[in-house]
Amino acid sequence: MSEAALALAPRKTLRVVVQADDPGRRAGLCQLLSSAGHEVVASADFADVALADGERPASHGVPIVTLGGAAADQAGLLPSDASPEQIDAALRAVAAGLGVRPIEDAGPGFDAMPERSLQNLLTPREIEVLSAIAYGLSNKAIARRLSISLHTVKFHIESLLRKLGAHSRAEAVAKGLALRRNQMLEL
Amino acid sequence: MTATSNLLSDLSRAVADRAAAARAALVAICTPDGRHSTGTLWRSDLVVASEQALPKADEFQVVAADGSSIAAQLSGRDRGTNVALIKLSQPVSFSPAAAGEAEVGTLVLAFGADRAGGVTTRLGVVNQTGPEWYSARGGRIDQRIVLDMRLARAEEGGPVFDSVGALLGISTLGPRGQVLVIPSATVERVIPPLLKDGRVARGWLGVALQPVAVPDALQSAAGQASGLMVMSTVDGGPAATAGIVPGDIMVAIDGEAVRRHRKIAARLGPDSIGRTADLRVIRGGAIVSVQATISARPAT
Repeated sequence: MSEAALALAPRKTLRVVVQADDPGRRAGLCQLLSSAGHEVVASADFADVALADGERPASHGVPIVTLGGAAADQAGLLPSDASPEQIDAALRAVAAGLGVRPIEDAGPGFDAMPERSLQNLLTPREIEVLSAIAYGLSNKAIARRLSISLHTVKFHIESLLRKLGAHSRAEAVAKGLALRRNQMLEL
Repeated sequence: MTATSNLLSDLSRAVADRAAAARAALVAICTPDGRHSTGTLWRSDLVVASEQALPKADEFQVVAADGSSIAAQLSGRDRGTNVALIKLSQPVSFSPAAAGEAEVGTLVLAFGADRAGGVTTRLGVVNQTGPEWYSARGGRIDQRIVLDMRLARAEEGGPVFDSVGALLGISTLGPRGQVLVIPSATVERVIPPLLKDGRVARGWLGVALQPVAVPDALQSAAGQASGLMVMSTVDGGPAATAGIVPGDIMVAIDGEAVRRHRKIAARLGPDSIGRTADLRVIRGGAIVSVQATISARPAT
């Protein structure tokens, strides 16, 4: 193998076109992409890869990662609640000409009620702020919606990141969703 | 030959003999689409299976120890305890095993059925035991028994025996491939309602709850630092009817503090249906008391 074949740019920036109808969802995906170091472009003509929320028709030769899709002819299929890490990895994989599928779901198994330590529980306010972040709202918009000061919003977000062990807003949203899946129970 | 090599071959022979004998205690449950799972014979015409492993069907073909294929019908299934019950159209020969007590470190054998009527074997130890617990699906399991072994999907629901041949219960796949045992006592407890009604009735409030930290300002009034926040209510369910709304934080039921789901689950047993539950919730900065009439959890 030649030396050139072994050389690899450590973190290649991809040009990504985002296809999502829901504005909040779209904003969230765009934010996730820029925090992962990618460039969001407006048209598939300039894109290396497309990221679609839900099923889309195939787009002009650009490989596509579909969130919550099932069409077998698409390069990348991820569940709609895929984590930022999964989305980033899938985009890089399909841009490199690979196909991406989640591992066959083995089912969660028969589990006990959540009994984890209760040290890092979120407060109701923190849960509200997290939902607002997930909806793509800016700190200012969150402050307006919850009728609290910008300073207080920042305070809640800092606390959220610490409790969830997250380093970015996108990671906090993903971890918050996972927590909710694991800890919410209907009785 | 030395004494140690005899010990090993003796153990090997004993396990093989147990496997041959165990075939009479289990059946292969087959569905038309070519899949199968394992069932444990509980009486001459009753088979217990793992609810999560059993395909959603009402009619099955069951392959017994002698290779004969018998028509069978679903009696009922209970997601709460992961027990499904199947009734055979004709009885088979069956000798009941004594119920055993799980002891950490003792050798156990778990058996499954292959589709052709043969037996599959797993040898392991009891890795961990614990007191009764509640499944995420709301069922009470009499004892926590975790095994150190692997198990295939199709082997789930087969019998688990201890070293003297006493029955500990049926095997079940837990989270991340962990192998659990649903104890015989739990199976015995749910068989009568499954035979009678096809399901196990449980109390239900119709609220989705998530643990949250109680805001600092309310901790002294609530007397606790955490509670369960109502994330949604089921329309027409007991909680919604009683006026519980999303955002309420539940801190006590019938005067007992609740910090975790199982405290509430423990008060929603089959005998709770129709009873009034006294719920203490934090709402808008105050603590209010709400009376909800527990109903039966709807079939899913």
